[in-house]
Amino acid sequence: MKVLVVDDFSTMRRIVKNLLRDLGFTNISEADDGSTALPMLQGGDFDFVVTDWNMPGMQGIDLLKAIRADASLSHIPVLMVTAEAKKEQIVMAAQAGVNGYIVKPFTAATLKTKLDKIFERLG
Amino acid sequence: MSVSTNVHVSLEQAKLLVEYLENDQQDKADDLVAEIQNPINTALFAEIGKLTRQLHDSLTNFQVDSRLNDLANADIPDAKERLNYVITRTEEAANKTMDAVESIFPVVDAIQHQITTVKPLWHKLMHNELDLPEFKSLCADIDTLLTTTDRETAHMHALMTDVLMAQDFQDLTGQVIRKVIELVREVEDSLINMLTAFGLNSASEKPKPKVGNNLVEGPIVNTENRDDVVSDQDDVDDLLSSLGF
Repeated sequence: MKVLVVDDFSTMRRIVKNLLRDLGFTNISEADDGSTALPMLQGGDFDFVVTDWNMPGMQGIDLLKAIRADASLSHIPVLMVTAEAKKEQIVMAAQAGVNGYIVKPFTAATLKTKLDKIFERLG
Repeated sequence: MSVSTNVHVSLEQAKLLVEYLENDQQDKADDLVAEIQNPINTALFAEIGKLTRQLHDSLTNFQVDSRLNDLANADIPDAKERLNYVITRTEEAANKTMDAVESIFPVVDAIQHQITTVKPLWHKLMHNELDLPEFKSLCADIDTLLTTTDRETAHMHALMTDVLMAQDFQDLTGQVIRKVIELVREVEDSLINMLTAFGLNSASEKPKPKVGNNLVEGPIVNTENRDDVVSDQDDVDDLLSSLGF
């Protein structure tokens, strides 16, 4: 399974990568914002996206909307891992078709639970 | 300003003025006119004088607070550098810690793998089911395990010391951030002084202006004082499930 981790902070990408590796995901790529991520997604056969919200350039919510609007990408599950904690934003992400929403700071157990839930739903 | 522009001339004054003019006493007539106008001028001049003093005081106060100038030109750029230092140090610390942890993972995995290899024969030994060739194999495996563990625990100890030492950023960044907080307080005081000097009362009854009205706000540091944010993952999950997730 090919995963794309999108976050502007390299340390956060590294943390998420380590946690994902622990959960058995070994094929992980990185992007530092939405505008870098989108062409990568369009060019590669990614199965899953983990993205931050607040990034310079293209923000996570816009990346999510772009993924849902692109017929070739719209099936890809998107997990948002972000410090953004306004109810308005969570509702917005849900309406845009997010598959999971984790607020930072988060734990390895939270990530595992959300991933299990997402892939259980997808079957 | 309460200066009346209405000129009040009494009948007596008017009669007197006519009398002066009729008697060709021009000087006296001029004096009388000046006297009639004088009360207004006095009040007007007093008011202008008061305003001038106020303006002067305001300008003087503004100049006295030249600290504002220093704050804008020196202290705030300095604070930006300090905060950048915080970002750099915390990033370094995070990377150092992860370097160490990432090197420990495979070591732990290797030891665990060797233990898994030893386990079946060890189990047999404990139940007196081990034959001689198996015993020799077990001895070799245990020898490898002991050698690896001995070498790698020393290595892990060194790496854990690295993790420990990487935490020194907390002290340094804490000091820097405290300085910046002090600066923010000083800027706040100077701005309040300026508002006061110009007679703008900040303590009016207007509702407090809202901070951070942008959609994207970053980490919320005072969740307990806000009702428009979630305070933890459980809140997120509750909100999402209320939306049918």
